[in-house]
Amino acid sequence: MNRQEAEIRLKNTFGFDHFYDKQWETIDLLFKGKRVLLIEKTGFGKSLCFQFPATQFSGLTIVFSPLIALMRDQVNGLNRKGIKAKFINSEQTPEENSQTIKEAISGKLKILYIAPERQENQEWIEATRKMNLSMIVIDEAHTISIWGHDFRPAFRRIINLVKLLPQNLPVLATTATATKRVQEDIEKQISGNIQTIRGELIRENFRLYVLKVKSEDEKLLWLAENLPLLEGNGIIYTGTRVNTEIYSRWFEFLNIKTTEYNAGLDSDSRKEIENGLMNNKWKAVISTNALGMGIDKSDIRFIVHTQIPASPIHYYQEIGRAGRDGKPTKLILFYNSTKDENGIEEDVKLPQAFIDGGRPSIKNYNKVINVLKQEQLGELQIIKATNLKSTQIKVIKSDLIEQGIIKKVNNKYEYQYNAPLLNTKAFDELREQKLKELSSMIDYVNLKSSRMKFLCDYLGDGSHYAYTNCDNTNLSPFAITINDATKQELSNFRESYFPTLQTAPKTTKTIDGKKYYITLDSENKLIFGQEGEKEDHFENLEIFKTKVAKLPSEKQQQFFTLINNHLSKEKILNGVASSYYGVSSVGAALHRSKYENGGDFPDFLLKLTLKAFRKKYGQEHFDFIVYVPPTESGDLVKNFAEKLSQVLKVPISHKLIKIGVTQAQKVFKNAYLKKDNVAQKFTYSEPREILGKSVILFDDIYDSGATIKEIGNVLTKFGVTKIAPLVIARTVGGDI
Amino acid sequence: MNKELTYWLTLAHVPKIQTKKKNEIIVRLFEKSKSIIDFFEFEQAVWGNDYELSQSEIVLFEEARNELSTYAFMVEDLLEQGYSIIPITSQDYSPTLKKNLGRTYAPPVIYTKGNLQIMKEKSIAIVGSRKANDISLEFTDNVAKNASKDYKVVVSGFAKGVDKQALDSAIKYKGQSIIVLPQGIATFQSGFKKYYKQIIDGDVLVLSTFYPKAPWSVQLAMARNPIIYGLTSEIYVAESSEKGGTWSGVMDGLRKGRTIYVRKPNSREKNANNILISKGGIAVDIEGNLINYEITEKNKSIVSEPDSNNIEEKIIDFLKAGVFPAKKIVDTLKIDWSSKKVSDFLKNRKDILTVKGKPLKFTHKDRSIQIQKSLFD
Repeated sequence: MNRQEAEIRLKNTFGFDHFYDKQWETIDLLFKGKRVLLIEKTGFGKSLCFQFPATQFSGLTIVFSPLIALMRDQVNGLNRKGIKAKFINSEQTPEENSQTIKEAISGKLKILYIAPERQENQEWIEATRKMNLSMIVIDEAHTISIWGHDFRPAFRRIINLVKLLPQNLPVLATTATATKRVQEDIEKQISGNIQTIRGELIRENFRLYVLKVKSEDEKLLWLAENLPLLEGNGIIYTGTRVNTEIYSRWFEFLNIKTTEYNAGLDSDSRKEIENGLMNNKWKAVISTNALGMGIDKSDIRFIVHTQIPASPIHYYQEIGRAGRDGKPTKLILFYNSTKDENGIEEDVKLPQAFIDGGRPSIKNYNKVINVLKQEQLGELQIIKATNLKSTQIKVIKSDLIEQGIIKKVNNKYEYQYNAPLLNTKAFDELREQKLKELSSMIDYVNLKSSRMKFLCDYLGDGSHYAYTNCDNTNLSPFAITINDATKQELSNFRESYFPTLQTAPKTTKTIDGKKYYITLDSENKLIFGQEGEKEDHFENLEIFKTKVAKLPSEKQQQFFTLINNHLSKEKILNGVASSYYGVSSVGAALHRSKYENGGDFPDFLLKLTLKAFRKKYGQEHFDFIVYVPPTESGDLVKNFAEKLSQVLKVPISHKLIKIGVTQAQKVFKNAYLKKDNVAQKFTYSEPREILGKSVILFDDIYDSGATIKEIGNVLTKFGVTKIAPLVIARTVGGDI
Repeated sequence: MNKELTYWLTLAHVPKIQTKKKNEIIVRLFEKSKSIIDFFEFEQAVWGNDYELSQSEIVLFEEARNELSTYAFMVEDLLEQGYSIIPITSQDYSPTLKKNLGRTYAPPVIYTKGNLQIMKEKSIAIVGSRKANDISLEFTDNVAKNASKDYKVVVSGFAKGVDKQALDSAIKYKGQSIIVLPQGIATFQSGFKKYYKQIIDGDVLVLSTFYPKAPWSVQLAMARNPIIYGLTSEIYVAESSEKGGTWSGVMDGLRKGRTIYVRKPNSREKNANNILISKGGIAVDIEGNLINYEITEKNKSIVSEPDSNNIEEKIIDFLKAGVFPAKKIVDTLKIDWSSKKVSDFLKNRKDILTVKGKPLKFTHKDRSIQIQKSLFD
């Protein structure tokens, strides 16, 4: 097919008159059965380079994409044009995915989007034997290179697959961001005479700013004053999940419409937020970098980073989604340059910690190797056998698979005969590389010249432009001048914001094929909901019951079963902490008392804890306050509980006791072992005393919640009607 | 990653085409210095002219060509799960298997998991009934013990009875084993779990020649027997009835001229071992040792030439039953000639064929063996 013919068909199917030259160049190569790596900036029209040929081929085009949001958008777009496309991913039910596979086998589909992880699914592998394949596409191809940012282990298998594909099957790999090194790595990995087409990376509508601040508070303060002044809607990237919560509570406190987004949300909430973002429902979405890649919104007007990303590539990638309509767009990067006692700048610490902590110790690698030399184990069994964090196990597993030391067979991991020794040199090289990239990111922060030129050069775009549009060239920098009223607001916020402990039980039941649940919300109101649908909040169970009573009688019965099941569960409320452990002076104070012989917990903690209690539980009546008996820190918790008891005028009870030896929970690195550690270790020495009573359950630090939940169980068995957890601090990802 | 593997699997599993035809294609490619990738990129005319494919075969290969990309998914999955895929041209392919089965029967691809080196070692097979008696199991244990002591690999078929005993004994005596599966390699999960330790220690190799996802079936169990025989140079029969897998396997082996040792049963046993001995099996005692040749002579008249007291005739006679190196002839016949003397004698005989390799092997021309092309030597 020549270009002229192709463009006539293009007009008919996609409504465009012409291809860009580079688009046609790519498509022409694919028609000839070649392999192509296409590096073009966001908004260039990379998707058309495979979507168009896919409509012309007789068989199916499989698109491996790591981005679920992008799959959804593209499939909807294609279906609107009458092109048969579907996706397979974890957001759909197994039945929906099976149906899609059936359609792919029967030849009904032209394009099938699929997450790389699916390559581990036997149903999928079996099904591929029956498909008529015409082309393979690897989207976001930088994720297949270990030197690229966001390397995805699952893509390792896709590379292996591509190597085994017949030589004349067209393969397209696309990415917006690849340095020369990543480009060469992709070329090498995909092999088979791959041809690379590279475009220019400059984004002329980008306005790049860096804001150096002297504290974390300055970030919150500047945003409080300036976020409402930024034009349009945008995204605020925070470095951690807990920061998405803190920033969004802060904006909530200020009545600025925002919402938080992170990978911990369920897929329906994520979908809802993505839709809300599309419709400008919020001024900004506060997110970890889990959001954004693959969001098909052309008018994201600003992106703020409260923490520096790991490298200039990450930064270019994350801001790349903004301003696709070509209109002026602001990209603001905060950097806290305050130095600590060791002379290290505050904002280097987090990315540095990711690099240092990203790789488990060699000892832990060997632990996993040794248990697998004895028998085949599943992931959970490895976690239990090694007492390692599941996040660490994930890294170790994928490295060991990468190095050919273990394999995954039917969800079990197997050590391999004749396996090579662990190659630690590869880890060191990677670490060096990451440190280098981080240092380049700091260079970007401290840059005195054109920021866009720096990014383009870094990404291997050799073009020569007059690069402007940043605070180092023609734009005036932002200033940090904060008025006192805003500072007062922040201090008010600090004293009114208390993290919730998710301790209330959740009861689920499938009724007519739909999964329903009952639990409590953060204000301890009853939530009744259907998985993936809207949920209703009720003041109490009685109100909910009257609603159920209006349903047809057989259905009624089912819902009453759900209610009764819920009533038989532990009577534990969602608790409250006075603070996060790591984000304020609270953690340091606790640490001094517990581990440095600093005496009783200081009084400011008492004040803060009382505040948290009153905010959460208000004027509710309690019969007793009980506290978690200590493992190692003596009477600290007891003494503090006594003070609480005096102020609150709730009698203290010392009868919650241990009947077995427990180890400090922090010894255990994962939730399974923490749960085992405390199981059946507590009792109440005079059960009759608490029958029908309500209690406050106090502890100093809340980590996995296993202890609180276990005690909640015990007390419920003895007939306690209400248990209200209260702690001084809640940890973030095990930070003690 | 061997990018040819996709093409090998595709070739190996083209339906309705005999192994011999597939191997002839491979030999032809070898002679013309072409790769299997080249083969699948040829025009149909080349298939017809240079590779002698008939019109109906071309249709089948054309269908196979369209399946190449989907086979890629299967190969990737198999490799990911730690299976080895070994084409007949690979250095890792069992030389014994290739030699014994020749181009007519040697599978173009074998699938394995475990220590590949095991295929290069000397090996014995012990076969027999699923319901073998205790004497047979004791015999199996003895033979496996001796083999393990001599660093010989024990090949067995993973059925109950004798097969299971052979494997268990080899493991017990710290020997090495090959398990030859009556099914596809990807359907053996419980076995991989059970022999996990032996596999990763390099003592067990699991091998299958069938479509990787094929479940166990009677047909595959029967088709596996020649593979067991093909993987070894010595075959011991513990117990056989007059029908069934062991029986037909041994008969097939004898027909193909293999040397097969059969346990001489005692008079109270009810089995077909004596019949197998009368048909050419070599009698051995419960320890697996040859029972004096003279004794077996009595039975020989049924199948073979009249008795011969002459050593020369004895050797020639022996070579009608198979392909042997000089040392083997000396040892088996217990003659007081040196190996060199046997070799020199045989090299000058017109009715004897010399098979190249180290050591030289000899056989009688009456045996209609395939004269093999270099790929199969």
